[in-house]
Amino acid sequence: MPRPKSQADASAPDAVLRALADPHRRRILRLVQGHEMAAGQIAARFPLTQQAISQHIAVLKQAGLLTERRDGTRRLYMLRHEALDPVRALLAEFWPDALARLKDAVEGAQPSQETR
Amino acid sequence: MPSSPPVTATTRIAAPPEAVFPYFTDPALIVTWLGDRADLNAQPGGVFAVEVGASPARGTYVTVEPPTRVAFTWGLPGSETMPAGSTTVEVILTADGDDTIVSLTHHGLPDEDQPAHKKGWDTLLSALHAAVKHS
Repeated sequence: MPRPKSQADASAPDAVLRALADPHRRRILRLVQGHEMAAGQIAARFPLTQQAISQHIAVLKQAGLLTERRDGTRRLYMLRHEALDPVRALLAEFWPDALARLKDAVEGAQPSQETR
Repeated sequence: MPSSPPVTATTRIAAPPEAVFPYFTDPALIVTWLGDRADLNAQPGGVFAVEVGASPARGTYVTVEPPTRVAFTWGLPGSETMPAGSTTVEVILTADGDDTIVSLTHHGLPDEDQPAHKKGWDTLLSALHAAVKHS
């Protein structure tokens, strides 16, 4: 059952992360930033089989990272920037979490003292 | 190039800046909060390398001014589009009574308003891997 893209946005940082964790897929995304490309055009840029490219595209689509549009017999793909929002949100959580660990580490190492 | 909005974070630590600062420059201390292994040479131009699981973050120190300012670049080595160090993390330590306010700003992150911006992908990914591995 296809799920709405907005749901992919809200629930899929893991899927986005997995999708991004492959250099071929990152390269595909870079190819289709800002303009559509057909699957065949994408495949022509890689030393991979069309089938392998199709699998990569499927992973990217499932993560909500690609839009797909049919044009006759062709399927055209383009990067969907909104899908990166949850990823960026994760990153925005990274530093506060890291600083919280820093606080624990420093304060845990301090000689006990009353600070307030 | 218009800059994308930086990610910022702050915290208050019950210790003076002199006690906090080495946590950004001493490999044995930085691994207590950021990464599993670290190779640091804390001087301008010196290496900043932190391994978080299988995800290395690499850069160089830009500013090292104990005990108040430290900045380092942050990126992913071996990337075809983005060499280590295309984003910058700036940290300012401010004494406040017996405490230290730590203000961190991560500049140069990918900008959704710039579809042509290519460099951010791998940086984002390296930082993200670090975030996920730690969560």
